[in-house]
Amino acid sequence: AIVKHLLCIVRLHQGGRYNDDFDDGEDIAEFDDNDFAEFEDVSEDPAVDVEKEPPPRAAPSSTPIEDDEDEATVENEDGQDEFEDADAQDQDMYSKYDNEEFEGYEKTNPSFKNTLIYREVPAHLQNSWESYYMEILMVTGLLAYIMNYIIGKNKNSRLAQAWFNSHRELLESNFALVGDDGTSKEATSTGKLNQENEHIYNLWCSGRVCCEGMLIQLKFLKRQDLLNVLARMMRPACDQVQVKVTLNDEDMDTFVFAVGSRKAMARLQKEMQDLSEFCGDKPKSGAKYGVPESLSILSEMGEVTDGVMDNKMVHYLTSHADKIESIHFSDQFSGPKVMQEEGQPLKLPETKKTLLFTFNVPGMGNTSPKDMDSLLPLMNMVIYSIDKVKKLRLNREGKQKADRNRARVEENFLKQTHTQRQEAAQTRREEKKRAEKERIMNEEDPDRQRRLEEAAQRREQKKLEKKQMKMKQIKVKAM
Amino acid sequence: MTVNNMADPRRPNKIFRYKPPNTETNPTLEDPTPDYMNLLGMVFSMCGLMLKLKWCAWIAVYCSFISFANSRSSEDTKQMMSSFMLSISAVVMSYLQNPQPMSPPW
Repeated sequence: AIVKHLLCIVRLHQGGRYNDDFDDGEDIAEFDDNDFAEFEDVSEDPAVDVEKEPPPRAAPSSTPIEDDEDEATVENEDGQDEFEDADAQDQDMYSKYDNEEFEGYEKTNPSFKNTLIYREVPAHLQNSWESYYMEILMVTGLLAYIMNYIIGKNKNSRLAQAWFNSHRELLESNFALVGDDGTSKEATSTGKLNQENEHIYNLWCSGRVCCEGMLIQLKFLKRQDLLNVLARMMRPACDQVQVKVTLNDEDMDTFVFAVGSRKAMARLQKEMQDLSEFCGDKPKSGAKYGVPESLSILSEMGEVTDGVMDNKMVHYLTSHADKIESIHFSDQFSGPKVMQEEGQPLKLPETKKTLLFTFNVPGMGNTSPKDMDSLLPLMNMVIYSIDKVKKLRLNREGKQKADRNRARVEENFLKQTHTQRQEAAQTRREEKKRAEKERIMNEEDPDRQRRLEEAAQRREQKKLEKKQMKMKQIKVKAM
Repeated sequence: MTVNNMADPRRPNKIFRYKPPNTETNPTLEDPTPDYMNLLGMVFSMCGLMLKLKWCAWIAVYCSFISFANSRSSEDTKQMMSSFMLSISAVVMSYLQNPQPMSPPW
């Protein structure tokens, strides 16, 4: 009977909800009455119970109803445990309940339990934050990212400042302009680094003999990006300082030379336009010239290597071999090879006399601002190289060789692009013809039109004759 | 070192101004990460809004944060802010429409 009551309560609650959906004014009262129809014969108590009972909210509320009955049986024992001082009368009352009233009930209890369906409260209606653990995880991740951003940004900034503080004196004694972002009207030293990114800082120095200018790039690791930090745990990398000195034409003779770690040399030989064209041989081991085995040398010709690798240079390279990634001197520097699209007429890439230095900051990522001082001797080497390159001149033989190399490279380039340039010329000629025809068509005066057409025809005839003459000449020559 | 013995190498009359390198001619110099992350963030937030997927919206928020961290200082802050706002709105809308918490995929 109790099962029936509960089911009806559920249905009633549902019926109450659906009431709103019924458009036709089918007797709502009738509907309600029908619901209660079955109970009409039964004693009033169930009906009253139905009205009184609150709408069931699934499991939590169904269990109290059940628990009430159970409590009656269980309370007995609980009562005995908790209220040791309880009156004997109370106990008697409960025991009377237990023995007489619910004898039959206990038997039906098991089936009662089996047919009841426990429904779970939807998670967002539960008053607990535990169900939102994924969201909390996400927010925590974001907070961690933000924390790492702030910490990483500050670290990079401190490293940059430490580098600048240790190098400032040397730079200011060598260059008239230290620090320029290119935007101010007057060429005055800003005296500070240019922040391009949270991990890249630039410094432009200019106003010195033997060079046009020097661009120093502090390429730190992306400490501000948590993803990058995690990636670096798998693949360690280090901060780099890149120095690019651009020279005027008179500051350097024509040669191409590079020295650096073996890995870097192999990579540069493939990537760099000038190294791949002028230094065709495999990198030679540095041991031949007195530098550690870990360094290898790419050079256009032996004379260049001998000229560059004097005692002081060898000393610099040997004592700081671990910090040197690559050193690249070139009068034909045009950057890495650029992939050209098909059909575009290639022009020889613009070249600039350049000295390019790439240094690794010691510490392999775990650098502290103090490590920046250890890079100062390398900057001395840069200054020394600038002065040296100005004085280094090839002898006559070397110069001839160098000139021949450059002519060869240019010729190869022209050959490669020959077909493309031909096509380009062809299209240009066709364009011209079309433009002329258009002009003739647009000409209103019929007489002038005729005259222009005749002139065009004559020109064409002349061209044909010329071609025929050329062909005849070639045939004669062939014979 | 030797600078002290030699004359002052500085030449104020030989000053050249700084010219930012032209990145159009040399696209290899640029780091594409912030642009990719920006695009990804917008795609994910659109997915999250249209398909009502909560995890899409959260990933969009992450993408826009990563894009911001990697961005150049010369870049437009407006674009950063717009992608950020879009991803936040995707998250908020997903939760307004369906307040249930996210269920893990396992």
